Amino acid sequence: MSRYAVNSLLYRLKKDPEFRARFGADPLAAIADADLSAAERAAFAARDMRRINELGGYLHLVLSIPGLAVHPPRH
Amino acid sequence: MGRIVFAAAMSHVLDPDYYERVCGAVGRRKTDEAMAAIAAMGERFSATGADALVVVADDHLNAFSFNCVPAICVRIGRDVPRMRQDHAEAFDAVLEHMPISYPLHEALANAILEQGTAAGFDLALSWEAPVDHAFLAPVNTMHGTRPIPPLVPIWINCFVAPQPTARRCFAFGQHIARVVARGDWNVGIIATGGLSHFPELSVARIGDTDSVFDGRLIHWMERGEHEPLQALSGDELHKSGSHEFLNWMVLLGAVSPARAEVRYFGELPRINLAAVEWNLA
Repeated sequence: MSRYAVNSLLYRLKKDPEFRARFGADPLAAIADADLSAAERAAFAARDMRRINELGGYLHLVLSIPGLAVHPPRH
Repeated sequence: MGRIVFAAAMSHVLDPDYYERVCGAVGRRKTDEAMAAIAAMGERFSATGADALVVVADDHLNAFSFNCVPAICVRIGRDVPRMRQDHAEAFDAVLEHMPISYPLHEALANAILEQGTAAGFDLALSWEAPVDHAFLAPVNTMHGTRPIPPLVPIWINCFVAPQPTARRCFAFGQHIARVVARGDWNVGIIATGGLSHFPELSVARIGDTDSVFDGRLIHWMERGEHEPLQALSGDELHKSGSHEFLNWMVLLGAVSPARAEVRYFGELPRINLAAVEWNLA
């Protein structure tokens, strides 16, 4: 697990709309150069923010990336 | 001789729409109640005519990315912008109706920074970092349409391990009090965040809070018993969802041994909303 690689990718997805659009069109191509484990790459490819959080992605990022944010059940 | 004339701490996601979405009608009602208590505290702060407002809060990985995460950072310069986020989600959206720029109290910020370094605090500084909801939701709720005095934003790293210790944050607050006493300004100080929410920073635990832990914090603050608070470990804060209490620890150091008076405490499934003021008489 690479805490840096996962979170720097999440930060870029939040703050860089152009990168976010490329990721939306083809996630695997957009993250091809990222230093991720197989599990991390699969979670990003599936846009599975809950799983990314389990793998070390910071909560406030997975809750706030436009169009990708995880929405936990209403309480 | 300068003086701390006002001190308060409060939750910082102050958005009734957000809490209605995630908690239903009770979320809106309790957020409205908390905001009313914070607005009343703001009226008392404005009545002091303070020269500056120190705001101790945290960054939600908005101002600082992974090129640097400072343990404690003082914002210097002449003004500070609010964070901008395209297509803002969740707690970021509350910023969109707020003013874009806020004046800073340069002299006080520089004094905290320079005297802090001289006193052994290896503080970070920033001329450019914007502030997010952790700073601006409380400040704007406190002031409404009244003028906001010059700010001194201070970030504490509450989320990216390893964080500064509770004891170190308290000591930094004592430093702020010494700087204020040596200066010529009347100063307010607020700390934001909390209380218990997002334990272990885990999506799976969203919806859990630790009201027993919060009760202990409030008990000690009301009695001015600050030693057990300084002894809190990072692990306790992480497991109870009290990461942002580190901001409160800075305030406690600045006003110790003053006692807290709870203005509002409201339990929601997502968070325990709180508004607390210190009796400085």
